[in-house]
Amino acid sequence: MKTFEYLRPTSLKEALDILKNHDGNVSILNGGTDLIVRMREGHSSPEVVMDIKKIPGLDQIQVDEDRITIGATVLLNDLGLNEVIKTRYPYLAQAALSVGSKQVRNRATCIGNICNASPLADTATPLLALNADVHIYGEEGIKTVPLKDFFVFVRKTVLKPNEIVTGISFKQDPEALGIFTKMSRRKEVDLSTVCSTVMRTGTEYRISCGAVAPTPVRLFKTEAFLSGKTLTGEVIEEACKLAEGEVVPISDIRASEAYRREMVGVMLRRALSEWL
Amino acid sequence: MIHYSGNVSIQLNVNREIHEVVVMPQDTLLRVMREKIGYTGPKAGCENGDCGACTVLMDGKPVKACLMLAVEAVGKEVLTVEGLEDTEIQKAFISEGGFQCGFCTAGFLMNAFALLETNPDADEAEKKDWLSANLCRCTGYEGIEKALTLAQKRIQEKNNNKR
Repeated sequence: MKTFEYLRPTSLKEALDILKNHDGNVSILNGGTDLIVRMREGHSSPEVVMDIKKIPGLDQIQVDEDRITIGATVLLNDLGLNEVIKTRYPYLAQAALSVGSKQVRNRATCIGNICNASPLADTATPLLALNADVHIYGEEGIKTVPLKDFFVFVRKTVLKPNEIVTGISFKQDPEALGIFTKMSRRKEVDLSTVCSTVMRTGTEYRISCGAVAPTPVRLFKTEAFLSGKTLTGEVIEEACKLAEGEVVPISDIRASEAYRREMVGVMLRRALSEWL
Repeated sequence: MIHYSGNVSIQLNVNREIHEVVVMPQDTLLRVMREKIGYTGPKAGCENGDCGACTVLMDGKPVKACLMLAVEAVGKEVLTVEGLEDTEIQKAFISEGGFQCGFCTAGFLMNAFALLETNPDADEAEKKDWLSANLCRCTGYEGIEKALTLAQKRIQEKNNNKR
């Protein structure tokens, strides 16, 4: 691993100053379970590594009456085992607990999972379905970007070099039913071959998938087709066909393009069939 | 604000002892423990976060030492397999043959120990769940499972006697 300077700010203001002073050559160290591997393999060689874990106020899951906010340094295990998340948003809890292994989740964070912008980020699909917002701190203070607009491409987000994500929040919707599915070769310690969250709120549906496009995506066309319809066998089949056509997967070491496409249909069929 | 550049002297609490070591910011906790302090129990298996052979406990929670910088462990209590001497889990791994080549053993011991500390009454599903976080290339999982169950039984008996 190439050497770097290690900086550990104790406020957001300090963090912002560090980002400004080192123009683009800073990697933000949160849980580090991805960054350290990337640095060791030479994919990333920053001049400065900025550890944000000692910035106060970022390590909380804040439950307000109408919103839930997940702080930037909240661990995946703490998110997945949180009582409110477990009872009201079990699909988000399951997604959080499906990342890596137990040891990894004791270091890795949900916000890190999102900011890496991997196409198969497990926590991205439930948060996309929940219409989550990303909170970004920069020179003009805090701004908010919808998660669906946050991802740009594989490992690319709208985040600028002088900005830092402070958390992700979503509007409380305890009535919504959601189903998270992760398909992988091994149950623990594996990456998703395909993952998805299917959500139902009233007669509206929200569908999001990972590992089927350059970024985690919502299947808006399929959602529009399902909107307001009564679920029947035929409606589900039609929706699955639409969904398989709406994704743009690639073939790689984990699966072929055709397999991924078919699995999108399988996951959607299984999820919708729960609500027949 | 903390700023480390080049060689820095830090204090690490490993196995209830304070060790003063000189590290570079990019040194991982695993390498520093193995090469600078001398705790070779945690193994460098994949150094990629997959295998779990480098598992140590940090403030009681299992983490992978290959995915952490040594400077991140300042102020934390680190426990390695060397700190598990005379524990029930150590004895059970020996009596049940919970290892073959032994490379993954330290990681499994740490995870099994952490489980029994967290929940001594864990059921089969929870035990399997915890053990699935580590890989054994000899596929000697059965002995490992038996060792965990035996250690659990002994700990439960002890707890019952105390009551």
